[in-house]
Amino acid sequence: MIWTTLILMAAIVFISRYLFLEPRLPIRLGPRVLHFLHYTGPAALTAIWAPIVFHREGSLDLGLDNPYLIAAVFAALLAITTRNVLLTTLLSMALFFIIR
Amino acid sequence: MSDRTPNPPSSQSRRLYQMTRGALIILPLSIAVVPWGILAGSLAVEAGLFDFQAQAVSALVFAGSVQLVGMGLIKAGATLSTLLLTTLFLTSRHLLYSATMRTRISHLPLHQRLLLGFLLTDELFAVSSHQTRKEFDFWYAFGAGFSFYLVWQLASLSGIVLGQSIPDLDQYGLDFAVAATFIAIVLPSVKKLSVLVTVIIALLLSVLFSVQGIEGGIILSSLIAMTIGYAISIVRKEPL
Repeated sequence: MIWTTLILMAAIVFISRYLFLEPRLPIRLGPRVLHFLHYTGPAALTAIWAPIVFHREGSLDLGLDNPYLIAAVFAALLAITTRNVLLTTLLSMALFFIIR
Repeated sequence: MSDRTPNPPSSQSRRLYQMTRGALIILPLSIAVVPWGILAGSLAVEAGLFDFQAQAVSALVFAGSVQLVGMGLIKAGATLSTLLLTTLFLTSRHLLYSATMRTRISHLPLHQRLLLGFLLTDELFAVSSHQTRKEFDFWYAFGAGFSFYLVWQLASLSGIVLGQSIPDLDQYGLDFAVAATFIAIVLPSVKKLSVLVTVIIALLLSVLFSVQGIEGGIILSSLIAMTIGYAISIVRKEPL
């Protein structure tokens, strides 16, 4: 029973990841859909990182004593100026671990 | 194929270079996922699974939120249909990733498609979605996805071995690495007003949903933000 459960869970996750990668899927993503999907990265990744930074210990934390917020602002500045993912990540993590 | 080189050995070293590059870019996210992997492993054991089965969950399902919630449901004795519907709900955002990556991956050979599909986590999507179809490289994506997979397996194994001692996730502050990496990926891609608005709406809504404790906040805020961004680009007649 447990194996059936595990395999069904794995199948659902895999299908949701693979479905649109299959070229024989009888669906053609037209220019409008592709244009819409162009916003997936900025939207979904922001929806993942923003709560990590702003939602601390059960509530909204906009205080200057929130190390996540300070280091995130620093990361944002670095990201815009350097456009280097690894450098931005490492330097802002260094700042985060110093100030927290 | 401007980067085609005449001798085969350099194509092999190019693969290795791309795989290493992928593994390196995803490294902060791999480190950040370690406590979650430990938690996933220990929760599976706590849910009553044998060690081998607990490892199989991480090896086959390979999805943090699905595993954490799923093990909780198994422990609570939920029905199979509840478990599977919850899985479908939690994993729904992967459909969006899959659709977004279609133009870059669907023309690859079957085994490469299957591999990248299996490895297509939030993290792999993050480090490969901003690449254009031309920039996209199978070996880069595979290096990132597979190194992340290995870390998840080892972290789960530690959790299974450690058993009951569940780590306090907030204590390490490793979740900041996720925020830092995603900020570093997203912000340089903001070159149009519609993208800026998408980011701002996604930020506001996801924080609101998270504070309100609304389930599915990530997919919900993403879809609303994408729709608004798309609408703005149409109204403003932005070039693609």
